[in-house]
Amino acid sequence: MNVISHHELVVLLIGMASMLILSRIASELARSVKFPVVMGEIIIGIILGPTILGNFAPEVSAYMFPVSGNATIALNGITMVAVIMMLFVAGMEVQLPVVLKQGKAAVLTSSLSMIIPFVLGFVTAWYYPQWFGRTEEYKLLFALFFGTALSISALPVIARILIDMGLFKTKIGMIIIASAMFNDLLGWLIFSFILSSMDTTNTGNEFTFTIIYIIGFGLFMLTIGRKILDKIMPWMQQKLSWPGGVLSISLGICFLSAAFTESIGIHAILGAFIAGIAIGDSVHLKEKAREIIYQFVTNIFAPLFFVSIGLKVNFIENFNGSLVLLVLVVAYIGKVSGASLGARLGGFTRKESLAVGFGMNARGAMEIILGTLALQAGLINEPVFVALVIMALLTSLTSGPMMRLFLDQSYFNNTKQIENN
Amino acid sequence: MEPDYTKLKKRPAYPFETVAVAIAFSPRLEAILMETKRMVNMFGSQLVIIHVGKKDTHHEEVLDKLMNKIGFAKIKYRVIWMEGEPIDTILKLCKLNVVDLLILGALEKENLYKYYVGSIARTISRRAKCSVLLLTNPSINPKKMRKIVVNGVDNQKTIHTLKTTHYLAKNEKIADFTVVQEVNTPMLSMTIAESGTEPEVSKIKKEMQEEDFSRLNVLINSIDKQGVNIELKIVKGKPGYAISNFARQNHYDLIVFNSPDTHLGIFDRIFTHDIEYVLADMPCNLLIVHSRV
Repeated sequence: MNVISHHELVVLLIGMASMLILSRIASELARSVKFPVVMGEIIIGIILGPTILGNFAPEVSAYMFPVSGNATIALNGITMVAVIMMLFVAGMEVQLPVVLKQGKAAVLTSSLSMIIPFVLGFVTAWYYPQWFGRTEEYKLLFALFFGTALSISALPVIARILIDMGLFKTKIGMIIIASAMFNDLLGWLIFSFILSSMDTTNTGNEFTFTIIYIIGFGLFMLTIGRKILDKIMPWMQQKLSWPGGVLSISLGICFLSAAFTESIGIHAILGAFIAGIAIGDSVHLKEKAREIIYQFVTNIFAPLFFVSIGLKVNFIENFNGSLVLLVLVVAYIGKVSGASLGARLGGFTRKESLAVGFGMNARGAMEIILGTLALQAGLINEPVFVALVIMALLTSLTSGPMMRLFLDQSYFNNTKQIENN
Repeated sequence: MEPDYTKLKKRPAYPFETVAVAIAFSPRLEAILMETKRMVNMFGSQLVIIHVGKKDTHHEEVLDKLMNKIGFAKIKYRVIWMEGEPIDTILKLCKLNVVDLLILGALEKENLYKYYVGSIARTISRRAKCSVLLLTNPSINPKKMRKIVVNGVDNQKTIHTLKTTHYLAKNEKIADFTVVQEVNTPMLSMTIAESGTEPEVSKIKKEMQEEDFSRLNVLINSIDKQGVNIELKIVKGKPGYAISNFARQNHYDLIVFNSPDTHLGIFDRIFTHDIEYVLADMPCNLLIVHSRV
């Protein structure tokens, strides 16, 4: 059996400790200036990785984060588990009843905020693959990926902005949340399909089976599986030690579901995401248990994952200004116009619709996870990945201020007045 | 000729001037009629008895005997017999007769098939353009309702629902009823887990709770209480499920909801939310207030 050596274990532990402690410091700094926490984590990755430390102190970098060996394999394994757990948590936030409840406005906003950026991204990547440094290989899949990457939204970032603006429980806030949930659900389904289709041995028949598997698995877990989990949840919370029992069984189901989808040729992330929806929807899942799962994943596994991104990619070497600009322009135009149009057709005023558009524009951590998986699968190159990361951070940064621009003080006063009446 | 529905427009949810009861000749018929009689006497309403099915001598005799036994002779009532598809026919007759409250018997829990496909009582309650009272355990010795809980959801219909409940409570001579505000903020947990300190988290949660409290207080204070006390409670959990669970645990007799904002379909039953949680497993009698204002 291949066992991790004493030295490798020390290296792994030092690496993880530095990732967690430094990212926490950076995250706190980011939080204090109202920047997304993920920004601090990415910056620490860039500092510790080949971009800064690897450039100025290559020996230190090679010692702490070797490029090969058991410590590297272990860290890669941990970050993969982190992605699965983050998708599980993201799934727990998708509440389909919330989408159903919001009615026409949510359907229009979520559909158009998905369709328009998707089409814009697809067309750009399909007709101009050379702009992304791509050849004809995987042209269709790359175009599908780029469309999907532009249509996804970052729920936690959006929710934070809405809380800070006091809009979390308002009509506009619920429409944004419901639409972002729907975007995430469809986005991850499409992305799982793309990743599954990356297997070059896939024939036409297998392609069809992949689609059938994805739809079948999704339907089963969101209907029968969800009901079964809801039935066993009270038993788990009453009979097993609390909250330990719920935590271990919930994460166990997440890993089982991820293992199942991976084994049938769909990426593990879909299993985790759908398991998250099924468990998160249970009326019996106590708020405290939910919070503990979030805290555990968001503060331990997420930083390890986001810092590890910077360890793998040289952000300076792979920075391509024109590509970044292209991605930014397409991302902003697609999402803002799509979501705004949907909100406008759904009955919002022009200013409110634009606020919805910019609110939905935040891509945050979800985009970075999507980009990382695409990079690992060989679907995109490093310059495209860097452009996506920058786009994710910039869209998250600008969402709040842009929403404030369109929902000025008079809007808040009017809203309060209407509510009071 | 198309019926004239103008009388329905902007008609307030109460008083219940016209009460209708939809009957089938089931073993619970007597109990449902007894409960209806109590309601009609209490509200001083006119009564319309609806039966969807063929009018024949046998059923007419059965109904007449029962009405005499119950003592309906002293109450003004009409019996409408009409053949057709039960749900549409009942809904149409309610509109035509400007019914304010429709009384139906309902099982606490339907079997899976009936729940998803839709039983008559539940489908009517989702679609009716008048208030609907679903009785889960009608009795031949009806008792007054003592404990009433109202869903205080943030919706413009809620004020009408509160006023209607107040009207009901006053007629039942109940000293108080409870308004429940459900608090469900799972998204908040995730956001806070990512970027919130303990004091900040408490502050946000407290602010949201206070916001809900003050909104409901404004509504409650706008009601002329006339001796009926209204108690406000915050219950954590998913909308619909939390109040349903609260009503069951605290042995309430009646749970009151706004009528649904949108047409509820099978997806709303698969991805259960709000009133669908109550309809899936009724904790007690259910009153759905349809405010036509």
